[in-house]
Amino acid sequence: MNKLPKLILWFLILLFVQAFIFDPILLGTTYAPFVYVLLLVFLPNNWPPWLVLLGGFFIGFCVDFIFFSGGIHTAACTLIAFSRPLLIRAVFSETMAPENLKVEQESFINLLRYVILVIVVHHFVVFVFVVGNTDRIRWFLNAWLINSLLTISAVALILLLTRNSKR
Amino acid sequence: MQKLLNSILRNRTLLLFILLFGLSLRFIAKNHDYQRSSFTAFNNAVTSPFFKARHNIISFIKRQKNNEQLVAENQFLLSQLITKNNKKFLLDSVPFDVIPAQVIHNSIQLKHNRLTLNKGEKNGVKKEMGVITATGVVGVVNNINTQTSGVISLLNKSLRVNAKLKKSNHFGSLYWDGKAPNTMVLSDVPLAAKVTIGDTVVTGGMSAIFPAEIPLGVISATEVPMNDNYYDLRVSLFQDMTNLSQVYLVHFPSADLIKEMINDDE
Repeated sequence: MNKLPKLILWFLILLFVQAFIFDPILLGTTYAPFVYVLLLVFLPNNWPPWLVLLGGFFIGFCVDFIFFSGGIHTAACTLIAFSRPLLIRAVFSETMAPENLKVEQESFINLLRYVILVIVVHHFVVFVFVVGNTDRIRWFLNAWLINSLLTISAVALILLLTRNSKR
Repeated sequence: MQKLLNSILRNRTLLLFILLFGLSLRFIAKNHDYQRSSFTAFNNAVTSPFFKARHNIISFIKRQKNNEQLVAENQFLLSQLITKNNKKFLLDSVPFDVIPAQVIHNSIQLKHNRLTLNKGEKNGVKKEMGVITATGVVGVVNNINTQTSGVISLLNKSLRVNAKLKKSNHFGSLYWDGKAPNTMVLSDVPLAAKVTIGDTVVTGGMSAIFPAEIPLGVISATEVPMNDNYYDLRVSLFQDMTNLSQVYLVHFPSADLIKEMINDDE
């Protein structure tokens, strides 16, 4: 189980990057990629579901701490953690048992498809709660699209870089 | 009972999800109630050191931009203030203008101290311009080249600045006696003036160099020399002359006109 220290290291690095680099206030932009979503992908699949749920909850809670965002990220992360088996089955084969998925061993394209799905669902939940009503539907669609694209590019870059460094 | 327990055990993930998701919804709902939210208070207590560190890093990164913005703001406010205080001295209706500059060299140990500024002829600096900050007078420009300018510091025994008591408008002459770098002497104030310790001293405006009403310092000691009709007052400066960095050069729009008139009189 030398996976746990690695996961904790990822947790610290991604939260640090999220807080000190990808912060809209710091960057002076309207949107900034939520790179921490990668953590939800890195949560081991062989963990029991309740532990994954708690892990997702904890990650979201920490991000809410950083951004003073109430419980928006907590809600989104918990939802992602809960629906993870569903998401995995949607991207990989129907017959695949979610606990057999090993993130490191999947091909980059497959992994990216999975990550994109996670990001899109996650951002949907986040911005639904940010908007909170039906008046600003255009703003919502805009924010959802732009921020998802930003996060996808940032996460894809991180994945590419870390993959290359391993080889 | 057994059945209920079994179904709970079977659906424990779903139940846990409902619990956690409900909790996060509660956080969101509470967040609207901003001031009374215990979550926010707890959040503040735990994260404030973290945020302080973050703020320090952000302000370190943005300091240059912030400084420039503040300097521009000060430049605007200072020129407005000087213009407002010196309406009666303006011979034409051109308002006062100030040029921001940085002190790149400053001596304080000598009897005749000098400063060097990073603005020169290229930036519109002229000879005999007054150098001020918002809290006092710094000196007078006495030589310039294209990039930099040399300034006679207020801490220079040969510089005398026209000053007055803010309260009573009695004029005097402010100069440095070469001792402490934060204490000046205000001489030539007649004994008729009522002076108490703590009175504010401002520039008098009887010159084409410094505008009137720039704060200089407060009276820290009063002395009456024997057989004299004038006070010898000690003034402790508002402006710390030992750590100057941002200063402003005053462009006196009527300076040339005034000088011409003085020369005509002579």
